[in-house]
Amino acid sequence: MNPVRVAFAVFRKDVRSEWRTREIVPALAQFIVLALLIGNFGFVIDRTNAANIAPGILWLALVFAGLVAFGRTFAAEREQASLDAMLMTPASPVAIFAGKALAATALLIVCEAVLLPALAIFFGTPLSADVVFAVLLATIGMAALGVMFAAIVARVRARELMLPLLTLPLWIPFVIAGGTAVQSAMGLPGNYQEAIGLLIDFDILFVVLTSLAARFVLDE
Amino acid sequence: MNRYEKWAAGAVALMLVAGAAIFFYAPTDYLQGPVQRIFYLHVSSAIAAYGCFAVVLLGGLIYLRNENAVADRFARAGALVGVIFTTITLVMGMLWAKPIWGTFWTWDARLTSTLVLWIIYVGYLLVRRLAEPGRQAARLAAVVGIFGFIDVPIVHFSVTWWRTQHPGPVIVNDALPAAMLGTFLFTMACTLVLAGVMVWIRYRIETLQDEKLHLAEPVQVVTAREPEPVP
Repeated sequence: MNPVRVAFAVFRKDVRSEWRTREIVPALAQFIVLALLIGNFGFVIDRTNAANIAPGILWLALVFAGLVAFGRTFAAEREQASLDAMLMTPASPVAIFAGKALAATALLIVCEAVLLPALAIFFGTPLSADVVFAVLLATIGMAALGVMFAAIVARVRARELMLPLLTLPLWIPFVIAGGTAVQSAMGLPGNYQEAIGLLIDFDILFVVLTSLAARFVLDE
Repeated sequence: MNRYEKWAAGAVALMLVAGAAIFFYAPTDYLQGPVQRIFYLHVSSAIAAYGCFAVVLLGGLIYLRNENAVADRFARAGALVGVIFTTITLVMGMLWAKPIWGTFWTWDARLTSTLVLWIIYVGYLLVRRLAEPGRQAARLAAVVGIFGFIDVPIVHFSVTWWRTQHPGPVIVNDALPAAMLGTFLFTMACTLVLAGVMVWIRYRIETLQDEKLHLAEPVQVVTAREPEPVP
């Protein structure tokens, strides 16, 4: 079986299932607006400091929305035991993993499509191509890691508890580099070029590593 | 006394000798005063923790390669002992930082990455506790241990490029007087022996637990699914 076609089929299945139920995307959009609301009350925000606080709120909202999204990645598969069924087919686990990761990336991009305009409206930050580019770059690696840990916690008890504990430490490199990139794109100090370079490095590293690990994580 | 107790007693005796060297042989630091004596155990336990996590990494890699149960038990033992030594490093570092830097904590590269290290391996131990013991738990934990080991240098270097406060290596820079260097090397050797003995004893405990589990359920059935809901 052609792995690219398998990955695309898994991706299409996940997207179609979300399109038919429309469960996760509205909930995540709501979650993001709520995160911004809490950010507003947690900090004293006015015109002068909004630009300083906005990047932090962006990453907090994105990281926690990502955890909620990835927590759902394998929920349906677990309830229907469809992951086991997929693994019984001759399709390679890496291709199945890639499909799940693609679907999760799409979900996170939808989150960002809500988050970035909302941030621009509520915090008055510039919604520039630089900001979007940095966030999208971070999304790739975060999705690869998030799906891998979602697959791991799908097989342990207390998975809602374990997913953040395992995923957040490994997302820190993306938050460090992505945070710097977004800060500098929003006019705060920071070297944008260097941070983007780092993000690309992390993306390559973690996409390769998670693909290598996928076989051990998904297999029975 | 069985041989494990003998080893443990030997390691503790060595640590007491090291303590005597730290307090009575090593000179008092001119600038920092007695608090600088934290240095010997602080750095030694950090190195011991790295060693333990290297055991976790190696054990995980070997396990993923050929499902060797011995490697997995060593990884479990290394993770637990490594978390203990990381905790010692963090606590002693904070106690040292308060009088010298004026604060318990600062978001410096070394401190941040050590905290991340601690969080990752506590997560590793939690995976071991929450996953059904057996092949799958070992595999999942091996993946967590390997990713954890890779993440820490990355966090360290990505933070280093922006801010730093923690002093760099003093040993390789030849910045210590002979008595301090001697005390440090001796303490480090004793701490490594202690860590080795702890890993070895923990390995024995893990072996006994595995044997007990196999006696309790001779065939390990590990399933990913929850029970099907009855319609």
